[in-house]
Amino acid sequence: MASNRAQRLAQLNANVPAWGAVTHVETAPFGNRLKIERFRLKNGLEILACEDRSAPVVAYHTWFRVGSRHERVGKTGLAHLFEHLMFNEVEGRASGEFDRLLEEAGAESNASTWLDWTQYNIAIPKDKLGLVIGLEAERMSKLVLREPQVTSEKEVVANERRFRVDDDVEGAVSELLWATAFDKHAYRWPTIGWMADIEGFTTGDCADFYRTYYAPNNATVIVVGDYAESALLEKLAHAYGAIAPSMLPVEDYQAEPPQTAERRREVKKPTPTEKLAIGYHAPALGDFDHLGLSLLVDVLFGGRASRMHQSLVRKQELAADVRASVGPFRDPGLFEIFASAREGHHAEELLAAIDRELLRAREEPVTEEEIERARARTELGLIAGLETAEGKASTIGFYETVLGRPAAAFERLDAVRRLGPSDLLRAARRYFADSARSIVLVRAELAGSAQKAAE
Amino acid sequence: MSQPNAVVSPAPNLLVETSHDLPLVSVTVALRMGALEDPPEGEGSVRLLGRLMRRSAGGRSAEQNDALVEGIGAALGADVTQSTVSFQGSVITRSLDRFGEFLVDALARPALPEDELMRLKRETLAELTETLDDDRSLARRWFRKRLFAGHPYGRSAAGTKAGVEHATIDTLRGLYRRLVVPENLVIALAGDVTTERAERFASELAAALKPGAALADRTPEPSMRPGRHLVLVDKPERTQTQIIVGGLGSHPSDPDHFALSVANTAFGGTFTARLMQEVRVKRGWSYGAYSSLPYDRRRQAFSMWTFPKAADAAACLALELDMLEKLRAKGLTKSELAWSKRYLVRSHAFAVDTAAKRVGLKLDTALYDLPPGYYENYTETLRAVTLEQANGALRERLSDENLLVTLVGTESVVGDGVRAAIQRLAGSEVVRYDAE
Repeated sequence: MASNRAQRLAQLNANVPAWGAVTHVETAPFGNRLKIERFRLKNGLEILACEDRSAPVVAYHTWFRVGSRHERVGKTGLAHLFEHLMFNEVEGRASGEFDRLLEEAGAESNASTWLDWTQYNIAIPKDKLGLVIGLEAERMSKLVLREPQVTSEKEVVANERRFRVDDDVEGAVSELLWATAFDKHAYRWPTIGWMADIEGFTTGDCADFYRTYYAPNNATVIVVGDYAESALLEKLAHAYGAIAPSMLPVEDYQAEPPQTAERRREVKKPTPTEKLAIGYHAPALGDFDHLGLSLLVDVLFGGRASRMHQSLVRKQELAADVRASVGPFRDPGLFEIFASAREGHHAEELLAAIDRELLRAREEPVTEEEIERARARTELGLIAGLETAEGKASTIGFYETVLGRPAAAFERLDAVRRLGPSDLLRAARRYFADSARSIVLVRAELAGSAQKAAE
Repeated sequence: MSQPNAVVSPAPNLLVETSHDLPLVSVTVALRMGALEDPPEGEGSVRLLGRLMRRSAGGRSAEQNDALVEGIGAALGADVTQSTVSFQGSVITRSLDRFGEFLVDALARPALPEDELMRLKRETLAELTETLDDDRSLARRWFRKRLFAGHPYGRSAAGTKAGVEHATIDTLRGLYRRLVVPENLVIALAGDVTTERAERFASELAAALKPGAALADRTPEPSMRPGRHLVLVDKPERTQTQIIVGGLGSHPSDPDHFALSVANTAFGGTFTARLMQEVRVKRGWSYGAYSSLPYDRRRQAFSMWTFPKAADAAACLALELDMLEKLRAKGLTKSELAWSKRYLVRSHAFAVDTAAKRVGLKLDTALYDLPPGYYENYTETLRAVTLEQANGALRERLSDENLLVTLVGTESVVGDGVRAAIQRLAGSEVVRYDAE
């Protein structure tokens, strides 16, 4: 197989554009049944191919190693705005033709931007994979940016911000929490950007961003589904082989100084009940502690059997909802808690109840039964996310982009099976420090309005 | 839908789709009746019943049941619509037997204790309060409430505060006896499961249940109030508005059902459809702009959904109304029709790319009484739609005169503008965001 591939690649490389020579880098298992083949073009484009013939479809992802962390003050939200602009126009094609061709072929396409990355995903019936490769290669190097489209898209993004943040209590609170918890690191501003920054972008800003970050040596293409490897590589080499690599800038990384005192903010929102958000500084996804903390957070907050749900929702009946997550980021992020009080209760009551459980987690180990339950939930979550080609491509692309290991989801699952109470106790004592947390208390401007309406 | 491993078991009401690609099994036990069975003053009772069955499965406590399900690597929810109750879950294959036992306990041996109902009611009331934070959900609820006013579809499957407070354990036990009988069940399994194993589960469940009678859906067809009406849901400090515009839509048995689906897709079903192009791409007024045409056992709604900022609300609404009028008057173009058909036919690949999705279509067919061959002949039927049929369906089924506009926003900011934007407005009301 290896020598066959080497022969095929030699034949292919004899007749490809300047930057299109393909190298096979490695083969890695992806679960028990599938494997990932890693290839690299001469221009630095990484290709991760995972053949899966369970359905006659293909998921095609392009992950760029640029996110809101690469922006600067005054230009926040540029990575996300740019993601929108990538659907507009490329040289030689009419505006909107990209989407038109894809939809006509039966494709489902979308994109997303977060702190560390931007990704574009297309799922398509397998016979049109060539169309997708051509279109994606075109927009990596031939995007057209014009003033009217940039102006219109800024308005769309402003409306998205109103939808997700300004008129959404939880979105607004989360944004405030991160801005409170971080002083220096670029994680302090929201991916969607501050409204004033969104309104201020110029076409020139967008063109600079494109030239800087949208290059093959800053991207990974992930292909999952029913394809033939030789034909796939030939198409990729020819489509992307004419694109030269860029000189990527050195990131102006700013380490976040340790937080030494609790920070509190209090806001009023048009909501009928009080809310509470808490953010503890948490390890990066690649840190071994991230696993232990994630498993501990699942014991405490994951599912209806979790300690917090049992305590705050069922027994004390203080909260309508309580949940938490550990940020999956390249640099240390936040372990973020959000709780919504029931009518007649206050955010401080939620805080006191949560604190009691966090203190307990610091003082005594969780039980094996609780850990086993969290392990089972983790395993189910992973497996359920792999049902479609799209789910597999997302999992591969995410772990490749953040950790550089496309099958890291399975590595994490194996590691989670080895974690015990000591690991979780260590995570609790290391990260549940009051001095390293930020709190947002939300006062309810509409408290009691339901009763008033009834009267 | 013509998958080689698709099996419809000889056992009644059992659907199976096998795929051993992942160690995962999806299991759905559905009842062919849902919130339509809510008592007149007990809106939300069937949903309470579904959740209480899960919590009190096998006579165990809710804590024990939550720990059991999550501990074996399973997830289970009780989802209630007007026409169905679905106990829908997934489980890692190694725990399928235990999950099956749990489901039998939930369906056939729920204790339905009163103290847990009281707790569940308090939780549900708190959740209903929380939904007031969700403007989109508010818009949807008021749209259905007014579009189907006086019809069971206008009632909320999630319930109202008054309805939840009104529910009693005796009511729920009575509902349980009538609804949860083998004759009313449809069971669907997909994934890493054999037909034999699925049949065994279905037999065990059926044997554990007391026989009863299949419930007939006697819901009348809904009718549309004449004229153009506005419901403005007034909520403070909205920078944006949620707008839903629509009327009655389609029925799966309509001869022009597929023709209307093709027309709707071209109008507002995708990113390159007319609505998105005009509202978002050309004007930047709304992040999303879609139209939809869902189905049920009776005629459902047709609706357009946008969410422009407050200052653009009136103009956006006027544009949508104008687009709907033009759509009816002039219809689709030939190229729009061809494009829409190609999109629907080809993208159907993603409705059948997993065993769970394939069995989901079969389940829909069984639950919603879809006409024979609805999904089996889906792509062929779409291909056969003509321009004349699509444009005829638009004129026949959609109305631009009998319309409901529902808008969530701050009345003092947007009220005058949106009322002025609706020509021939027959009626207008302002309701508080927290009103029932």
